[in-house]
Amino acid sequence: MKIQLRYISLIALFMALTGACVENLPTELAYEGYEYANLDESAGDWNLILMTNNEEAVIPDPSAVGSAALNQELTEAKAKIAGASPEQRAAVIYWTNNPLLRWNEIALELSVKYNLIPGPNPDGTYTLPNPADPSATPNFPFAHPPYISRMLSYLSVAQYDGLITSWHYKQKFGRPAPYVLDPQIMSAYADNGLNSYPSDGAVVAITSRDVLSAMFPLEKEYLAKLADEHLESLVVAGINVKSDVDAGILIGTEVSKKALARAATDGMKNAQTPKAKSDSIKNAAFERFGWQWDNMETPVRPVGLTPLFGKVKMWNVPNVEEVRARVPPAPGTPEFNESAEELKRYADNLTVEQRRIANFWNDGLNTYSPPGHWNRFAKETAVKYRLSPVRTARVFAYMNMAIVDAGIACWDSKYYYHYPRPIQTIPGFRTILGTPNFPAYTSGHSTFSAAGSEVLAYFFPADAEQFRKQAEEAAMSRVYGGIHYRFDAEEGLDQGKKVGSYAVNRAKLDQAD
Amino acid sequence: MNLKSRFLCLLFACSGIVQLSSAQTPTDGLMMPKGEICVAVVYEDAQWDHYWEGTYLRTNGNIGTFDRKMLMPMIVGGITDDINVIVSLPYVKTSASGGQIAGIDGFQDFAISLKARFVDKKMEKARLMAFGNLSFSTPASNYLSDYMPFSLGFGANELGMRLIGQYELDKGPYLRASVAYLVRGTTEAERNYYYQDGSYYTSTMDVPNAWNGQVALGSWFLDKKLRVEANLTMLNSTSGDDIRVYNSPQPTNKVEFDQVGGLAQYYLKKGGGLGFLAYYNHMFSGRNMGQFSGYGLGVTYQFKAF
Repeated sequence: MKIQLRYISLIALFMALTGACVENLPTELAYEGYEYANLDESAGDWNLILMTNNEEAVIPDPSAVGSAALNQELTEAKAKIAGASPEQRAAVIYWTNNPLLRWNEIALELSVKYNLIPGPNPDGTYTLPNPADPSATPNFPFAHPPYISRMLSYLSVAQYDGLITSWHYKQKFGRPAPYVLDPQIMSAYADNGLNSYPSDGAVVAITSRDVLSAMFPLEKEYLAKLADEHLESLVVAGINVKSDVDAGILIGTEVSKKALARAATDGMKNAQTPKAKSDSIKNAAFERFGWQWDNMETPVRPVGLTPLFGKVKMWNVPNVEEVRARVPPAPGTPEFNESAEELKRYADNLTVEQRRIANFWNDGLNTYSPPGHWNRFAKETAVKYRLSPVRTARVFAYMNMAIVDAGIACWDSKYYYHYPRPIQTIPGFRTILGTPNFPAYTSGHSTFSAAGSEVLAYFFPADAEQFRKQAEEAAMSRVYGGIHYRFDAEEGLDQGKKVGSYAVNRAKLDQAD
Repeated sequence: MNLKSRFLCLLFACSGIVQLSSAQTPTDGLMMPKGEICVAVVYEDAQWDHYWEGTYLRTNGNIGTFDRKMLMPMIVGGITDDINVIVSLPYVKTSASGGQIAGIDGFQDFAISLKARFVDKKMEKARLMAFGNLSFSTPASNYLSDYMPFSLGFGANELGMRLIGQYELDKGPYLRASVAYLVRGTTEAERNYYYQDGSYYTSTMDVPNAWNGQVALGSWFLDKKLRVEANLTMLNSTSGDDIRVYNSPQPTNKVEFDQVGGLAQYYLKKGGGLGFLAYYNHMFSGRNMGQFSGYGLGVTYQFKAF
């Protein structure tokens, strides 16, 4: 007995000293279904982004309350609920009544999964992913920040237009949810009284599945499985019957088609140029300014990342040159030298807090990137304010349009100015963050973050100061990390703010407030 | 009394190279007698120009040759003839010949370990010994573990439980085997999201536990003033993920290696005083780590304290 006790205390000591109890590290955003702060019943009249009107996606009239057809559906729903397996019940808890947040989280996870830069071949050449053959090595896509920002904009805009359409029909048809129609059916979430035809959850499942399948073609099966699970959970949760779900699928399918048609012709497929084109862009900058950015990797990458991403179609800025950054200080000038000296000082004497900031905002390879980071903030904030699905979608749509527009504006400046990175201009300079494969000016993270924070600041005025502070910290993180000069970061913030204001101005007129 | 071999200052053949950290694995078959103290300083320089990405051995032009230097002061004290305490605190410096990522330097992990001999059987012309060893190490500075491969260590507490057996002929040759289970805690990154075959929304990373084994064949020469040994060391994490393609390692990786080594230890005279140590190690297989080869040089000084 004594010996046993001794063993137990020894084990306890082990656990205490090593902190070995780490079974439950969080793998997703911790939130559950909640009561919406507002049902946003008039959201059907909010301005659409892609669709021309709120009945462009057509659905049949629902069978009436009390009809045999609907009663039959309610009976089937009850059977499904009664016979639900533990996995199906777990799915109900997982998807929640604001499932857009889960799909956004899935989009971020896929972003991370595919955010690996292709390495060199044994002969020192590089092979780029091929969209026509996604499973070839390296797999398509390389989900870099421009790719992720654009992907998130299509995802969010499709979800938003789909939900506006769904809200319109919910109001128009006024068919109550199964848990209202049948006292034997309980909602798994708060009884918020939202009409159920067509299912908003199904709209989100299908738009998300379709857009993400196009963006991550190797994940098609995985996404289809997730969507099926999600659709099934809507009935098991007691919030939809089959015809609600079917109508939601119709809307989701139509909206996705529209979103993907835009994506097919937005110029992204020309963004990664051949070497000849990339060299001519570089030469043009050298002629204009007398400097040029060079890739410093071993072996050298022949082409920078997406030199023509700056030509991709913008959502809210009519012309990218409107938001082009001013000419940066030339290397060797006093203003430049001051920035270079600052970088050397940080490299030699980085404080613990500065190091933490550099790493917290790193968002480099194998992460969800700066656009993903702001999507995470948006999710947390949507939950904090218990937004309805359609109002949540609005936040993501405007934020992600602003973020991809910021990326496009930033990339236009990057390749117009073709400005060298600190590791190129400062001899022997070493950094704690990896320098990416594109020119320095302006800083992508600063631009993405300022655009994201401007939109979030507009939607959540009480938190505006915090979002702007975070964007500024993100911008400075690049200076602490040694991969950007201060003027890259400050101009990037300025540029991002400008781009963000286009989205905010559009949101102000969208009839939601 | 078997004091003859006990005056020898003990040192640890596999120090340093064990997984970028845990420089202190008291695997030796030696004990300090009661009241004796040994002070040692070991300098180690280890390099790799190939590393295992998963189990695929590759190079990386943006690392070139990776170098890890370590200076490790260590003190061993005999509490009784059969119980020793060992403390160490290595200073580590990392750098790479290629690329532009900054190397770092600083104190790595403070380690303390208790070693007890529970079998000591004198036979005709031979001796059989068994030891138990309980070790604990903890980061001694705020180094960032999530900065691999440059990080100074894996940044987590470690508790080690080790069993050592040694069979020694009076003429000098000996055979030693040890096995250890290393319980590793968590480490804190400075980002609050990471990918480990899926999303983790936290800055806490689970550093995998590991098995560590060693077999050594050696012998004493020159009236037990010189010891020469060849050894084989293995480390196997019990869980963890692989380094992703052309990506950095992280503390959650499943680290494995097999290493051969040679060691020579020489004492100027019996009964204490100055001694020297030299060793060389080379990894011949592994997973998720650099293929280190390196040497170590040490000076030891032993004296009677109480």
